[in-house]
Amino acid sequence: MRVSILRQKSAESEPYREIFEYDGSPDNTIAVLLDHINYNDDITDIYGKRTDRISWECSCLQGICGACAMVINGVPALACETFVRDLKGEEIDIRPLSKFPVIRDLIVDRTSIHENLKQTNIYIGEYQPSEKSSHAQQYITAKCLKCGLCLEVCPNYVNGRNFFGAVFANDCYLAASRNRSKSKEIRGVYSKHFGADCSRSLSCMDVCPMKIPTITSIAMMNRK
Amino acid sequence: MKRVLVIGSGISGMACAVRCARHGVHVMLVSPDPSERSQSIMAAGGINAVIADCDAGDSVACHIEDTLKGGCYLGGRRAVTGLCENGEEILKMLVGLGTVFSVDKQGQPLRRAFGGQTYKRTYYCGASTGKQIVSALVMEARRFEAEGLIERRLRCCFHSALIHDGVCYGALLYDETANKPEAVLADAVVMATGGQNALFGKTTGSTQCDGYAEGRLFMQGAALKNLEFIQFHPTTIETPQKRMLISEAARGEGGRLFYERDGKRIYFMEEKYGAKGNLMTRDVISREMGAVKEQVYLDISFLGKKLIDERLPEVRDICAKYGSIDVYTQPIPVSPSVHFFMGGFAVHSHHETNIRSLFAVGECASMYHGANRLGGNSLLAAMYSGGVAAEEIAGRPEVGRAPDFGKFISQEYDKMQERQSADSPFPVMYIRDMLAESMRSHMGIVRDEKSLDEGISDVEHLLSVAEHLRYDSSVRHYTNYSLTGILTLARATLQCARSRKESRGAHYRSDAPKTSDEYGFSTIITYDGGSYNVRLDKEHEYES
Repeated sequence: MRVSILRQKSAESEPYREIFEYDGSPDNTIAVLLDHINYNDDITDIYGKRTDRISWECSCLQGICGACAMVINGVPALACETFVRDLKGEEIDIRPLSKFPVIRDLIVDRTSIHENLKQTNIYIGEYQPSEKSSHAQQYITAKCLKCGLCLEVCPNYVNGRNFFGAVFANDCYLAASRNRSKSKEIRGVYSKHFGADCSRSLSCMDVCPMKIPTITSIAMMNRK
Repeated sequence: MKRVLVIGSGISGMACAVRCARHGVHVMLVSPDPSERSQSIMAAGGINAVIADCDAGDSVACHIEDTLKGGCYLGGRRAVTGLCENGEEILKMLVGLGTVFSVDKQGQPLRRAFGGQTYKRTYYCGASTGKQIVSALVMEARRFEAEGLIERRLRCCFHSALIHDGVCYGALLYDETANKPEAVLADAVVMATGGQNALFGKTTGSTQCDGYAEGRLFMQGAALKNLEFIQFHPTTIETPQKRMLISEAARGEGGRLFYERDGKRIYFMEEKYGAKGNLMTRDVISREMGAVKEQVYLDISFLGKKLIDERLPEVRDICAKYGSIDVYTQPIPVSPSVHFFMGGFAVHSHHETNIRSLFAVGECASMYHGANRLGGNSLLAAMYSGGVAAEEIAGRPEVGRAPDFGKFISQEYDKMQERQSADSPFPVMYIRDMLAESMRSHMGIVRDEKSLDEGISDVEHLLSVAEHLRYDSSVRHYTNYSLTGILTLARATLQCARSRKESRGAHYRSDAPKTSDEYGFSTIITYDGGSYNVRLDKEHEYES
């Protein structure tokens, strides 16, 4: 099977494509496939040209840390829980998340996710839960991986300079619901950086590895 | 202003950073990746604490005794007492930070029973306790980041410490964004780098915890302790890249271990240990499984779909996703895997190493767990140790003017330049794979002197070639420069296991199967220009 990968040597350089042959099992994940191409032998493309090893990130390798987020056959997903057998077509297309600056190959700089939350003071502070808070929703939103898949798929998210996306909305909900005294302040920045511009496509929920029901966070944040 | 450098941003690193910031100490929190990628998020089980409203009969004294007994009395009573006495305060702190614990109808955190403990005292957040604690700490750290007291440095790796005359003045880091080294001076350096997974290749943990920092600092003079005590978890499933943990809860709910011989199921744990055989401690089950030639299975199918869906959904999902196993109808093929490292930096009661101003917290520090660790005590120790180190650092005067490290930095920089200019396709990972294969063969659940000697010989060979080879420079620079530290740590680990000629807790020697009073002390290992010096801590220099 052929694997086409969109690569880039550094943040400043131009992207280019390289195609590799994958002869491993279809029961492997894309994470295993990348290791297989990198370390099965000296790395060469389908034309036999020696090339650099493919850079990508991983940590848990079981779908709970979000490191290996990338775009696989056009769908934003975690490489460690996407199986070759489930992919359609003759060729697998892999590229880095497009909404973040590329650092190298499939590694992108997702600092903006954390930076936006920091700049807008989204933290709990003192625990003073609101009476209407939903434990189940807080538990699931606290599982957010900050992987960026929701931002990649979002039609409203461009580069994180104004609209901050579902990852921001869910952390806003978590902080506001765990500290009612900060709720008003958080609703203000929520409205400015999410509520006013979200077109409710809810595609973020389709790709979230934790299956966070962002629509519930939105409903809770809109409740007066 | 006092400045602290914390290396590693999992739970122990963040606990330390937040506590330092509360004292007005400036923290640079360094890690290659954000906290959401740390191994801490994988801790599922829970955190132990004895609170005022505990189970009838339970007490802090009982938690202390369980911890000491679980560690086969190698853990120091004073240190363990501090850990257990602070359980309630730590639980309150986590609740106060907004950690989403599983709660009862009154909103009080729920607790459950865990192996090796006399009473229920493990508080939990569904099946993602570590992740929920990380999320709460990330929010709290963010508060101090906004105030400018915590400065996060991502895509930044530890390279070496700046040490002069037994005092640590900072660290040399490698900034992966700028692609260059950076020396950072600090009044204290806190290592919070987790376990030593890379020694064994595939484990249940994160690929990011590789033991390099311990290996490198060992070479720079830091004493290490109890490296031979490595906990194996008996029930994991094999996948191409890692070992997936099948929670102890599967056996807690009634799951049975068996193997098949001549078409008949042999429930070997129950046959040998009676009805509760499947709930024996992790080391006992792992050893019994190791003695079985056939594939061992864990059967939960008879528990029924309803119970599995309600109480073991994570087990169901992991088996389906990564093993194509339908647990409603099929048994799960399981084998033991490296899970936790009781050994690490030798630290004094305030978590300072033998090098002044160099601290270690969390799994990379060896404290509290002795020869084996109880479930629920690792998260407690991560929180507690981070706090203890922070209090000590906050109460100390500033270190003062650092000596000139220019020569050291320039030498290391030259070495980096040379590595980066290499035009070789040979990847460091091939050597790492050889190391892991040897460690799995010789440093497994059952050890003996002959096999350990073979392991030492293997690692000596890898060490002898490692510095002479040129490596593929297209991979992360850290991957290449970390090799020698990792190999050196592996060599030290084998030496510790060879020196302990007895069996105790997680260390089992088939050529010395009994526990011996003679070895009732922690192992301390130091490095001196290529020689590995082992002694027993009979004077309780590090733990009492």
